[in-house]
Amino acid sequence: MAVEADRHALKLHRPGDTWQRAWRFLLAFAALLFVAQSLIVVQARPQDLVTGVGGMADFLRRSLPPDFSQIGTYIWPTFETVDIAFFGTFAGVLLALPLAVLAAENVAPSRVIYLAARGIISFCRAVHELVWALLFVTAVGLGPFPGGLALAVHSVGMLGRLFAEQIETMDMGPIDALTLTGASRLQVFTHGVVPSVLPALLGISLYRLDENIRSSLVLGFVGAGGIGFHLLTAMNLFQYRQVSTLLIVTFVLVIAAERASAILRAKLA
Amino acid sequence: MLEIRNLAMRYRTGKLALAGVSLRVAPGELVVVLGSNGSGKSTLLRCIARILTPTAGEAWVGGEDFAKLEGEKLRRARMVLAMIFQQANLVKRRSVIANVATGALGRHDDWRTALGRIPPEEIEPALRCLAAVGLEELAEQRASTLSGGQAQRVAVARALAQKPRALLADEPVASLDPEAAEDMMRLLRQLATDDGLAVLCVLHQPELAQRYADRIVGIKSGILAFDLPAAEVPQDAIQRLYLSEAA
Repeated sequence: MAVEADRHALKLHRPGDTWQRAWRFLLAFAALLFVAQSLIVVQARPQDLVTGVGGMADFLRRSLPPDFSQIGTYIWPTFETVDIAFFGTFAGVLLALPLAVLAAENVAPSRVIYLAARGIISFCRAVHELVWALLFVTAVGLGPFPGGLALAVHSVGMLGRLFAEQIETMDMGPIDALTLTGASRLQVFTHGVVPSVLPALLGISLYRLDENIRSSLVLGFVGAGGIGFHLLTAMNLFQYRQVSTLLIVTFVLVIAAERASAILRAKLA
Repeated sequence: MLEIRNLAMRYRTGKLALAGVSLRVAPGELVVVLGSNGSGKSTLLRCIARILTPTAGEAWVGGEDFAKLEGEKLRRARMVLAMIFQQANLVKRRSVIANVATGALGRHDDWRTALGRIPPEEIEPALRCLAAVGLEELAEQRASTLSGGQAQRVAVARALAQKPRALLADEPVASLDPEAAEDMMRLLRQLATDDGLAVLCVLHQPELAQRYADRIVGIKSGILAFDLPAAEVPQDAIQRLYLSEAA
């Protein structure tokens, strides 16, 4: 039946067919050109992958077995990495909540405030967390604090948009009904909006925490503390057996965070 | 108790949805509004409750002209006028009793309720409101677990927690099965008769209107077509409400 209908439709569109074909051919050609120019720009040399195998093997040989003798010195950086993520997520949620309320079209007090809040959120998101970390390292010096600040600001950008979307898509019926009982604006918000969206917001925040732990591992590369900093140092000193140990720590940490966040989110639903 | 004088509403699009409607609902009276889709009957209720702002006329409820109130004054006045809708509009993630008690929030405007607390002294009265709709045994359940008919009765209980003197009902049985619809109409009838509420109810079922209402008001094209005791409404007057303009 469906095929019959398709054939029928094709017959009806006969006059446009030639144009459509030409158009499709042009599109395909343009796509090919795009791929080709990207190959040139990134200086893709597949043969290097083959000759590079030797280098990789050498790296692997030198990084095995992992050297666990220094594991004690990695405990503190691990805490730092996790706490940078905690701090960043917590501060991000605190800042994103009020911003999201102002940036949700259905509850924003005025158009100007709405646009301003949207702008702030977009700006926080548009700048990558590594760039934020570089800026904060310049401002407050090396260490975990600039890392926490960087994650907080970037989280405001990510969470603010998702929170606002949650508020915008919620059922307005209960909100209107509460308003009509004579409840104040604030009461309507805390008794109507908050209970309706809170579980979703918590789930989003937990997911963010999981992402932030992964990001905080990398933040050390730009001097913002944690395991990343030690990873970079070990690489620079060619201590590959330390590098492999740190990669194992990273792997365990990321998987643990992912699992914990998933279990907690499942409990919320 | 509820008195509307020459209420008119013209939408921004230029459509005149209400062209000067006047009617009275006395305490203890259940008045049903009938009319076809787009006749202006929902607009009427929305103008009284000030979901919409009428362009002219007066809507007196409990000694206040709702059509003229704004801001904080309007919020305070709203306590005396309760409204229920086609949907129950409960906060689904909260318990039934919390939903009912939120009807009383207007009387407790302080920082603790602003932070999301239910006033503890409102729990007992809320339970009585639930008992009035026959659902006190569901108090602790989440609102999301209720059937459509139960949820609608909880919405009525929340309205009662306001301690209103008038109740507006906008197609309260439209999403209920016939049995639940009968229950709801009996409940509205009882609230008028026993508690002395002035009830103004928009319906789509002339048959329900004739069995439960004291008076029936017919609206067509934003104009009052008739306003008669339920027993005296001629059948053809009701049928004319649903005929299109051209016919």
